[in-house]
Amino acid sequence: MLEGLRIFVLTISAHSVLCILIALIGRPTTRTRNFPQGKHLSVGFLVSDKGEIFELKSELNNDKKEKKKEAVKKVIASMTVGKDVSALFPDVVNCMQTDNLELKKLVYLYLMNYAKSQPDMAIMAVNTFVKDCEDPNPLIRALAVRTMGCIRVDKITEYLCEPLRKCLKDEDPYVRKTAAVCVAKLYDINSSMVEDQGFLDQLKDLLSDSNPMVVANAVAALSEINESSSSGSPLVEMTPQTVNKLLTALNECTEWGQVFILDSLANYSPRDEREAQSTCERITPRLAHANAAVVLSAVKVLMKFMEMLPSDSEFVTSLTKKLAPPLVTLLSSEPEVQYVALRNINLIVQKRPDILKHEMKVFFVKYNDPIYVKLEKLDIMIRLASQANVAQVLSELKEYATEVDVDFVRKAVRAIGRCAIKVEQSAERCVSTLLDLIQTKVNYVVQEAIVVIKDIFRKYPNKYESIISTLCENLDTLDEPEARASMIWIIGEYAERIDNADELLESFLEGFADENSQVQLQLLTAIVKLFLKRPSDTQELVQQVLSLATQDSDNPDLRDRGFIYWRLLSTDPAAAKEVVLAEKPLISEETDLLEPTLLDELICHISSLASVYHKPPSAFVEGRAGIRKSLPASARAGSEGVESTESQAAPAVIPAQDSLIGDLLSMDIGGPTVAPVAAAPAAPFGSAAMDLLGGGLDTLLGETSSSPAPPSALAASSAALLGDIFGAPAASATYVAPKTTWLPAEKGKGLDISGSFVRRNGQLFMDLTFSNKAMQPMLGFAIQFNKNSFGITPASPLQVQSPLPPGVAADASLPLATTGPVQKMEPLTTLQVAVKNNVDVMYFACQIPMHALFVEDGQMDKRVFLATWKEIPAQNEVQYTITNVMHSADSNFTDTVVSRMQQNNVFTIAKRNVEGQDMLYQSLKLTNGIWVLNELKIQPGNPNITLSLKSRTPNVAEGVFQAYDNILHG
Amino acid sequence: MGGILSYFRGLLGSREMRILILGLDGAGKTTILYRLQVGEVVTTIPTIGFNVEQVTYKNLKFQVWDLGGQTSIRPYWRCYYSNTDAIIYVVDSADRDRIGISKDELVYMLEEEELKGAVLVVLANKQDMEGALSVAEVHQALGLDALKNRTFQIFKTSATKGEAEAVIASVCCNFFSLLNLRFGLNSDQHMRAQRLLRGQRFIANSHGFYPTKLVSIEARA
Repeated sequence: MLEGLRIFVLTISAHSVLCILIALIGRPTTRTRNFPQGKHLSVGFLVSDKGEIFELKSELNNDKKEKKKEAVKKVIASMTVGKDVSALFPDVVNCMQTDNLELKKLVYLYLMNYAKSQPDMAIMAVNTFVKDCEDPNPLIRALAVRTMGCIRVDKITEYLCEPLRKCLKDEDPYVRKTAAVCVAKLYDINSSMVEDQGFLDQLKDLLSDSNPMVVANAVAALSEINESSSSGSPLVEMTPQTVNKLLTALNECTEWGQVFILDSLANYSPRDEREAQSTCERITPRLAHANAAVVLSAVKVLMKFMEMLPSDSEFVTSLTKKLAPPLVTLLSSEPEVQYVALRNINLIVQKRPDILKHEMKVFFVKYNDPIYVKLEKLDIMIRLASQANVAQVLSELKEYATEVDVDFVRKAVRAIGRCAIKVEQSAERCVSTLLDLIQTKVNYVVQEAIVVIKDIFRKYPNKYESIISTLCENLDTLDEPEARASMIWIIGEYAERIDNADELLESFLEGFADENSQVQLQLLTAIVKLFLKRPSDTQELVQQVLSLATQDSDNPDLRDRGFIYWRLLSTDPAAAKEVVLAEKPLISEETDLLEPTLLDELICHISSLASVYHKPPSAFVEGRAGIRKSLPASARAGSEGVESTESQAAPAVIPAQDSLIGDLLSMDIGGPTVAPVAAAPAAPFGSAAMDLLGGGLDTLLGETSSSPAPPSALAASSAALLGDIFGAPAASATYVAPKTTWLPAEKGKGLDISGSFVRRNGQLFMDLTFSNKAMQPMLGFAIQFNKNSFGITPASPLQVQSPLPPGVAADASLPLATTGPVQKMEPLTTLQVAVKNNVDVMYFACQIPMHALFVEDGQMDKRVFLATWKEIPAQNEVQYTITNVMHSADSNFTDTVVSRMQQNNVFTIAKRNVEGQDMLYQSLKLTNGIWVLNELKIQPGNPNITLSLKSRTPNVAEGVFQAYDNILHG
Repeated sequence: MGGILSYFRGLLGSREMRILILGLDGAGKTTILYRLQVGEVVTTIPTIGFNVEQVTYKNLKFQVWDLGGQTSIRPYWRCYYSNTDAIIYVVDSADRDRIGISKDELVYMLEEEELKGAVLVVLANKQDMEGALSVAEVHQALGLDALKNRTFQIFKTSATKGEAEAVIASVCCNFFSLLNLRFGLNSDQHMRAQRLLRGQRFIANSHGFYPTKLVSIEARA
């Protein structure tokens, strides 16, 4: 009764206060009467809110524990619905010291939420934390240490170190495990403090704790810390001893603990094969675990460690067998888990197809699978398709193609095509299946079929063209851009076999402007192909399409392609034929494989979100650059690895990647180097275009219609030209630096570039060797330079064998001009290069040896030399000693020097003998017109030569000295 | 009628007195708190924040708050002033250098409106230390003579040393009897208590039943 009475009194008082306030504010004076109704309401609400805080405040200060608890509960309730109750901070903190666990938990909850908004006042809570960390009740100790970790206030973290230290050594495992996690939290707030206070060592000690739960949490904390470490390298390296302890704990801890342990084991690199194998053996039993996460984490570790073992060993074979059943089991769980498993299996199958090669049947689609599972299964089926099972797969796929779900049917049709491309023996059956499907006349099936048949034509040229007529029957039903583009490509490619190809293409041309750009581009190419094959009756058509593409289109790609064809056709139809009708490279078997380095990285992230997205974590986690994981070097590649690191050490200064990219950002990658079209016209492009718009078309038509020029003659002349440039090697003994590795394969996504600079016949060349060390062919090479000290720029597009098959190295010689933009580099001879291919754009820097820049007309007149030498102030003179020059003992050594320098465009102006010493006066000129004057002092019998250099720009001295060194030693 | 009376008596028993222990850092506040509570000398670390303990003496319950004395924490003392019945101000008698600061803090604190009705007890602690100020000196240094309208007492104590046990006991005794005034439990001092309480605001705490308590005690007497 009394409780009721008291509450009544309270409500009365609160209510009366409210009434009075509202009465005061809302008194009907002339002024307030004009207030809109809403004002009154908002004022009333505000007052009641304040009143609530006030009420809570007094309740919190109540003597009665029950009342206090109720009040804190009310505060928490307000907090959770989003009301700001931070004003009650001191009052709530004062309730903190209580023996009531429930109340304590509530207060801690409040603290976690509001400590940040009251950072100064939060200090009042410290002592209670300290006390609670020594409470006899382990639950309270753990609660305190956990809450401490959640309070992210700099001012108080330092006070929390001591209690944390104690808790890490607590007798109760629950407290220790909570404290371990707290270290990771603290690291996030203040990493340097955690390192200074030695918490990392304590955490490491916990790895050998007797309680597996503590071990698991310590592992989790450590991997968290390692991942967020600012230095990028793991702060706590695992040793074989700790790994051993982890493996022991693995068998005893909870399932999630096992996941933590397995995940951190995946980051460990065993020292040798034996260790890798024994670790694998101890992990293998985890594959039988009921928890999918444990299974996947175990698979991850095994996949990673298997890399280290020789692939033909018995152990790997048996392990491969053991990996299949757990993966299959994952597919019997809920669809969502199935999907995650399938995404991971997709990676595993790409890395090691052997594991699941006999398990094709489990990937057959069930009628009640959700669509996302169906699509994923289909993907894996294709990856697993082989000669042995292709019949089975094909009959399944045929079945799928008759289902109702459009997306699924499309993918199934596409899968049939991929099957044909992958397994040659099945191609015929696939094609006939596709033909059957086309006969169904189901619109989207027909369209998909045409798209894949185009790929089949690419893969098996001159084999299945008989079906073209069937395809042409369905021309009218095609409404999707991709199918239309594919069909147009087929018509253009096989124009000579399709009698009415011109009519067909013309029919497409009618709606040219409304087509998708993909279709427009194909149509343009197809008509040009047709024209080159049947020039007599298709002039009008080609003229029409060229004018549509160049004049009526806003699409720059289309316009550029139009102009290129136009120009090609008008200048050199034979060359056009060579370019447009060139033999196309075969398409690779697997078109949608992940890039190998990405695949390797994703294998390291199995059972994480990255493996579901098929993207590296850095692509979707913000602010976590983290350490990029990679598979350990495989057992066989070990020795190669050593070699490559050696050669890597050789090249000169390669600036940090960051600065390079910064510099190159201003470069226009898509500039004039993009299209590696042969026989680029000598005239600047702009004027050529003008020319084209003028009478260009007439000449084109006149030329081609009168007599198709014999292509052989033209080709021969251009070949001769090329021979001039590349064929005759320079007769002189110009010093050529050996090729150095500029871009190692690991940085170039599989592309390895080495090269050097050479001067041949007065022309500067960059000799390059491209080695494809990736798993797939590379194509579309282009090169571009950043602005550099000497204005060096490619004189013609890069000509490399394209596509470059895997494991093949190709040489290329790139003529260079010195007419490019100039920007002083540090060091002067640095050249920053960007190389593009179908994989990515790669950046590297190399040094241009100065002697390659010495021009042929560097001989100075004697008098001019004398005058210039005197004119240049003495402070511009730089001295250098060339040491250990070979053969210096020879009597005609001086002459050797003279001739050797002469071969490298350093000209001797005068020679004197002063007191038994030979004095040589030499001049040279750089490509940018800088003159350098040298005086060489050669003493008989002394292997050292003293060199004095004078130039108006003495900062070239360094490079010139280097050149002398190289030439005289080389 | 008897029922109501016994209810009030129960109320009386459960009503806690609120006492603050204040003073500069290192004066011995936490030690004194635990001396009062458990009677033992405990090892303490600087209090960053507060301690609160319940101390029972002669069937009376006291809620004793020991607040940290560091410069950074002193500003938050004021959050604890409301409804305070008594203040124990602890002075390190051996710390001659900072006695001035201690005085300033004391004066500043006593100016607070919320503490107008609180009883003040000053403990000149660490009397066992060599060179410690005597009680009189501490009294002088703190300027206690100038205090007006304030019930206060000063004692010398040594919170840690065994021989000072008696002193502590006497402190407690004296202190609590001083507080007893408020309740008028000791009929001899009832008149003084009445005088003390007249017009003072501590009656006006959250529930309005408090004044009747005195009446009931009178009635019993």
